[in-house]
Amino acid sequence: MRTGLILLLVLVGACSADTQPALIASDVTITQPIPGMAMSAGYLTLTNNTEETITITRVSSPSYASVELHETVVDDGIARMRALEKIEVPAGAKTTLAPGGKHLMLMQPTKVAADSVSLQFYDGATLLLTVTSSEPRESR
Amino acid sequence: MSPKNILIALVLAIALAAGVVVATRLSAPAELQTALVLPAPNALPEFALLDPLRNSVNRDTFLDQWSLLFFGFTHCPDICPLTLQTLAAAQSELNAAGQQPLPQIVLVSVDPERDTPQLIGQYVAHFGDGNLGVTGSLEELKKLTSALGIYFEKQPGDGESYAVDHSAAVLLINPNGEFHALFSGPHVVANYVHDLPIIMENF
Repeated sequence: MRTGLILLLVLVGACSADTQPALIASDVTITQPIPGMAMSAGYLTLTNNTEETITITRVSSPSYASVELHETVVDDGIARMRALEKIEVPAGAKTTLAPGGKHLMLMQPTKVAADSVSLQFYDGATLLLTVTSSEPRESR
Repeated sequence: MSPKNILIALVLAIALAAGVVVATRLSAPAELQTALVLPAPNALPEFALLDPLRNSVNRDTFLDQWSLLFFGFTHCPDICPLTLQTLAAAQSELNAAGQQPLPQIVLVSVDPERDTPQLIGQYVAHFGDGNLGVTGSLEELKKLTSALGIYFEKQPGDGESYAVDHSAAVLLINPNGEFHALFSGPHVVANYVHDLPIIMENF
């Protein structure tokens, strides 16, 4: 986690005009890839401002061919990394993706020349949130 | 009692109290926060693995220096970098505090299928100079892990995309090439900074 990117939040959909956004992302960090490795980790805090659970079933990014929801669990002294089918953000609460716990695994960076990294969070086919980095990711 | 005598008595009392405190601190063995020192250090087994330049890594590699041994793999974006960062930060803090000797940080790959010597070399170098990356054949790796009670198991996956479950512990190897102490997770910088000097000094 050598470098955390400060990310700019862009909200899409699920947002009524007069209230605060339904889902907010904060403290977003995308790790710089370690030399030789085609993968990074993504960490952030998701805040649900609604009165219902928000479920994230899929995250995608134009900058990576594959984004998976993962969780590191250390159980009985054994570290295990498991793919998650979904990440839930309870009503009026926060879910934190942090080192050593739930995280995004960003794999196979695309060669798209981009000056930012955007992540799209979906519940099924519904786009919940787009998070865009304000800095270019390290060129590869 | 004259004022002067009262003063002397007071000074003596303070000196006595201070002496008791100092004596207590000196005589009490410094307590370790998380490390578990083995009652009898355990000699490393015979094994033959490789460093990033494809030089042999064997039990003799660990002689005459302290080593912090961690088992992981490079295709692991979360807990492996986290642990290496923690160890590197602890090493850097100890260095800044003038601690000598400093243990070297060693990552032993539990994914020899994907982790070539070059790849593991690049990976550990990312976390600082002087770190050692070790990989090799599965057979030789198992000689080392089974002797140290380290578990690892490749998980089902899609071609090149798979995870490897592995023990999260960090092992301290002493300059005789023996498994000396164990740090269980979660790994916290302050615990290493506190415990390592005590263990090395008492060796």
